[in-house]
Amino acid sequence: MSDWLPKSPAGRRWLGLAPSYIVIGIFMLIPMVIMAVFSFLEPNPYGGVKPIGSWAAYIKIAFEYDLEDKLVFNPGYLNIIWRSFQLSFGATLLCLIFGFPVAYYITLQPENRRNFYIYLVTIPFWTNLLIRTFAWIIILGRGGVIEAPLLATGIIDDSLRMMYTDGAIAIGLTYSYLPLMVLPIYASLEKLDFRLLDAASDLYANRLEIMTKVVIPLCKPGIIAGCILVFIPCVGAFIAPNLLGGGKKLMLGSLVQFQFASARNWPFGGALSMLLLSVVVIALIFYARAAKNRAALEGSA
Amino acid sequence: MTTAVDIRDVTKIYSPDSSQAVTALENISLTINDNEFFTLLGPSGCGKTTLLRLIAGFEQVSGGEIMLFDKEIENLEPNRRSVNTVFQHYALFPHMTVADNVAFGLERLKKPKAEIKATVERVLTLVKMKELGDRRPNQLSGGQQQRVALARALAPSPKVLLLDEPLSALDLKLRQAMREELKQLQRETGITFVFVTHDQEEALAMSDRIAVMSNGEIQQIGRPTEIYEHPANRFVADFIGDTNFMDGEIINLSDDLVTCRIGAQSLFETENSGHHKVGDQVTLSLRPEKIMLSVLEGHNDANQRLGKVTNLIYLGNQAAYSVDMGDGIQLTAQARPREDGELPFAIGDSIAVSFSTRAMRVLAE
Repeated sequence: MSDWLPKSPAGRRWLGLAPSYIVIGIFMLIPMVIMAVFSFLEPNPYGGVKPIGSWAAYIKIAFEYDLEDKLVFNPGYLNIIWRSFQLSFGATLLCLIFGFPVAYYITLQPENRRNFYIYLVTIPFWTNLLIRTFAWIIILGRGGVIEAPLLATGIIDDSLRMMYTDGAIAIGLTYSYLPLMVLPIYASLEKLDFRLLDAASDLYANRLEIMTKVVIPLCKPGIIAGCILVFIPCVGAFIAPNLLGGGKKLMLGSLVQFQFASARNWPFGGALSMLLLSVVVIALIFYARAAKNRAALEGSA
Repeated sequence: MTTAVDIRDVTKIYSPDSSQAVTALENISLTINDNEFFTLLGPSGCGKTTLLRLIAGFEQVSGGEIMLFDKEIENLEPNRRSVNTVFQHYALFPHMTVADNVAFGLERLKKPKAEIKATVERVLTLVKMKELGDRRPNQLSGGQQQRVALARALAPSPKVLLLDEPLSALDLKLRQAMREELKQLQRETGITFVFVTHDQEEALAMSDRIAVMSNGEIQQIGRPTEIYEHPANRFVADFIGDTNFMDGEIINLSDDLVTCRIGAQSLFETENSGHHKVGDQVTLSLRPEKIMLSVLEGHNDANQRLGKVTNLIYLGNQAAYSVDMGDGIQLTAQARPREDGELPFAIGDSIAVSFSTRAMRVLAE
């Protein structure tokens, strides 16, 4: 053993983990700290920030200066945030409704075919999200894949105007993040002891009760994990809102992207990101608490 | 006597349309009486668990029918059959407390709250788990989980209780204690028990009647003593307990005795069961504990012979001796150690071997 190595086992462990700490530090922590710092500075009109401390970015989230330079409440951005949460909630719910049966179906397949199906689920990740979202313009758009046959057969005689609606955004978000719902639910269903379903059925549970009383409670961790994995990127998403929502119906993600790309208000973009981050962290803390309680309740003896 | 379960000509074929079709049960017929402790006994793969799952409704019969108290149940889902199952690995719901597990069936049956509470308490008391109602299954030992599984299946007062090798995961002492408890529980509740096991001791200890199964067919049905003392065929004699098999030929029949020739010239006499004729090639079964070993040739049994000890296995309360009888006949016999603990014979000793004519069975092939 060389002399320069730490003596205690704990010290050695730290040394062994050092590369990961450095990577996480550089690629996660530093950008986040920069963002946090920027959010407390003043914007530079040509992009970037001026090194002057200010709360302006955070105040701007809920207030604006009127003509007399007085602060007045302006719910404009708050409405966008609220809308983002609503749409993300809707998309998460849709992901759950479509994702759960898919995960359940895959679990019921013979073992050698399950991996193949899981692989199919992940295929969309192989191409760029932007391109895949463009595909939805072709599907939903005026005279697109859905409308064209309906128009041709005379079932409808005017455009359904599906594009540039909240519905289109929700569909786009659902499509983008569905695999993130399927995978964790599958992971928890795969561990499910299917003999419990026999037991429930033996004890007079009908199919619905087997689902609600046994299957869903037992794969709750997977459902919660899936919901978090879908909800968080939905709130921050900007591709689907911009392309399918036409950029007029902003979501939090597009608002942030807009601050950095066009509006050149980096501190405001940073402040919005920090807000999003805190919501996510709070949600995760609640999840961790719930998971811990659960572990304590079912604690191993 | 009321018939609880009537199995008529039941066949079960898995994946019948594929090239890998497996016949698990073939034309099984048996009746299980109400209030009976009935055991399906056989080696793994004999179809006993399949039969149990057919009664429970987890599988559908491929042919024949199953009646439950004279009612056809073929088209009923498991949740519509008034039978409950104690699963091999208990299958307790891990996210529920013991009490919730036990209440599960009653809640599905929409029983009133007060009644559920009272029943849960009653059955938990019955299985001596009353104090542990708030625990989770994974906070319990294997034996305790076993009791909860029993309580959960008994709570809805099923007409028939199905038990799928419930004791197989327990250690020996606990298994023996649970045997007595199960038997007692069955007597107290008066519920028909259908018990599946591959453990012949369990079957003999608890059952009113046993069906011995092999390769999807029933080999013999009878009371434990019948099965043990009068095995219907070689499989049953071999599977239940230890025995010596000898191949022979019947050379003489009298009113009550059959004379068999084994080997070149060894003649043995046994009781005439009336099923054989002279010239039949038969298998004879002789249980080791029916064979008397002694130093002196003092007995007057018809089948007394001389033998030589070739091997012995000491088992504590007894010793198993391998005895060479000459003429190609090898027998395993048992002898108790003497009072001072010494074994009566040693390897190489010449001894007298005798057994009564009633001890030997002529088996149907």
